[in-house]
Amino acid sequence: MSLMDALPTPRLRWEGWHPNVVLVSLSLIMLAAFWLLDVVSMAPNRIVLGTGHGALEAFGWPGALLATLLLSFIGILACQPTHRHYRALFAAVIVIMALMPVGLMASSYLLIDPEMPQARLGMGAAYWVVLFVLLLCLVELRLRLNLTRIWPTLWLCGVALVWWLCAAFGLETLALVQEFKARDQQFLSAVAQHIKLVGIAVSVSIILGLALAMLMRRYARLQKGAFAVLNFLQTIPSLALFGLLLAPLAWLAANVPFLAQLGVSGIGTTPALIALIGYSLLPIVRNTYTALEQVSFDTLEAAKGMGMRAGQRFWQVRLPLALPVLLEGVRITTVQAIGLTAVAALIGAGGLGTFIFQGLGQAAMDMVLLGALPILMLALVVDAGLGALAEALRPGGTR
Amino acid sequence: MIELSHVSKRFGDETAVDDISLRVPKGKFCALVGTSGCGKSTTLRMINRLIEHSEGDIILDGQAIDAYDPVKLRRRIGYVIQHTGLFPHWNVARNIGLVPRLLKWSATDVQSRVAELMHLLGLPVDEFGHKYPHQLSGGQAQRVGVARALAADPDILLMDEPFGALDPITREKLQDELAKLQARLHKTVVFVTHDMDEALKLADHLVVMREGRIVQQGSPLALLQSPADPFVESLLGGLERGLKQAALTRVKDHMTSMGPTLPAQSRIPGTFSLRQALSMMLRDHSDRLTVVDQHDVPVGELSLRRIIKEAQLDNGNPRE
Repeated sequence: MSLMDALPTPRLRWEGWHPNVVLVSLSLIMLAAFWLLDVVSMAPNRIVLGTGHGALEAFGWPGALLATLLLSFIGILACQPTHRHYRALFAAVIVIMALMPVGLMASSYLLIDPEMPQARLGMGAAYWVVLFVLLLCLVELRLRLNLTRIWPTLWLCGVALVWWLCAAFGLETLALVQEFKARDQQFLSAVAQHIKLVGIAVSVSIILGLALAMLMRRYARLQKGAFAVLNFLQTIPSLALFGLLLAPLAWLAANVPFLAQLGVSGIGTTPALIALIGYSLLPIVRNTYTALEQVSFDTLEAAKGMGMRAGQRFWQVRLPLALPVLLEGVRITTVQAIGLTAVAALIGAGGLGTFIFQGLGQAAMDMVLLGALPILMLALVVDAGLGALAEALRPGGTR
Repeated sequence: MIELSHVSKRFGDETAVDDISLRVPKGKFCALVGTSGCGKSTTLRMINRLIEHSEGDIILDGQAIDAYDPVKLRRRIGYVIQHTGLFPHWNVARNIGLVPRLLKWSATDVQSRVAELMHLLGLPVDEFGHKYPHQLSGGQAQRVGVARALAADPDILLMDEPFGALDPITREKLQDELAKLQARLHKTVVFVTHDMDEALKLADHLVVMREGRIVQQGSPLALLQSPADPFVESLLGGLERGLKQAALTRVKDHMTSMGPTLPAQSRIPGTFSLRQALSMMLRDHSDRLTVVDQHDVPVGELSLRRIIKEAQLDNGNPRE
């Protein structure tokens, strides 16, 4: 205790007042976006560019006021960041996200003339900004509340369900919904095809990658060469790789009937899978190799000293301890593959990328979104799910 | 019994262990002491074949260790290492039950053995059984390490600086517990440490190593009385050597019967060491102590003169 501690200082008054700057700023950004940017856009038909509408036009006075209150609420609570307030903030973010489609319904009611069946509503810049910033808030709150990944994800699934229900009952005017309704069968099969491509590519890479990582551990010389090749593969732009595969695969299909029967051809699923696997191998092999090598020497030496055989040491000690990092590799790979598969649509492999490229061709941005949003959601869900699994498998169960 | 005769270990051109011979009779506690890099750990790890020796013979219960299957050999030797080497993904109970499970004991046998050991090491099963290593303090973790080594009731225990990473208070406590445990279990122990006090406190047989060779070996008292060279003497603490020697001698072995004079005020239990007796004399400004038994009944007395004389006798110096 020094004398200085006993003296009052001007700073004293501000002690105990530590607002969460991140959340306060995010709240202000959302308020600014809400009032300054277009909340929704309205177009008389599919091709014509929509006209933007601000908060008052979109929601009317009461709606705009309610939205402003809700968004300010986040900033106000964040000024006194206690644990209870963080919980309240978490709930508020979820509620706002779930209310957003309801807001769209209100705009639809206010803005769209029932006499115009072709008219469609689009989400404006403010909507996207608020949605994105709310997700950032969730990330911050997850850290503050020390939550595992799984809880925010489950809540977000709930929010997605609300959006889905609103879209299905009462948001027929939303452009995205119209795009979906025009090709719902096509959409579902595209999602299925996308997941199929990613699933096959990732599972094959896991098997190949594990085998390769094992071989590298056994034959040190292989390690440098293999990493060099995989790194090189990773640097080829995806479109170029698809192009490079076209000629040799077409030749193979033409000259080896057996392969042609298996479905090998210059375009379509085969080159897409080969390219996806090529890209996926590096993160899997790298993470598997590092994961297996980083297991503490002491632990393995103890296992040996206790009389565990080589196989027992591997399966009971090395592999379980490596699993979290290994799964991290699977997570990175899967998320990467989900994105790359979109490009595979260009060589006729199908998947959600189809909508993106068709939409771009037709200058129909809503159709692009119909492809892009599910890809984003798939990536988020896989990321959260595998992340949660890796967390759960961390040594000692608990964190 | 463990016997090493003319054992050497070479790594390439480097000789880590150079022609050492030593014998640890059954039930004895042998400490290998030396500065880091002197080959003590290598010697230990050659016994359970984590390192294969290059020359000489290591005999375990009458049979050369090369004749054993290394895995089976290790399962009958308890092994404790400095950083515990506990498996972080297993709870305490599962860690302790490792070797019995490897030996294919039945689940109930493993369970009851784990409970028995945890009780023995003062870790209540209900409280600690389901904890993971990262939830334990250093001392608790090392207790689990010792329990794991004892799990299949091996005759031989190898301990590689087991308490090296602990704070002094915990270290001392665990040393005391190990001494008590050894008094009950009579394992054949080889214990590696760089802490001479630890070695003096625990060992029946002390082996001082330097640069891969044995410099001197013998009982702690023998080493204290006549260190072979300045290196051993400095390891033994130089000027403190007299006190260390006094710490190894019990009061009741040197007390005299009660004299005709009035008994001294200060009382000391007979089980205490001469070092503690000296300390008490300094504290109480007295050159005489009354020795008492466990019921605090006087049984003899101890004078400063007597302590000094005994030390002279022990050191082989003639009486004046």
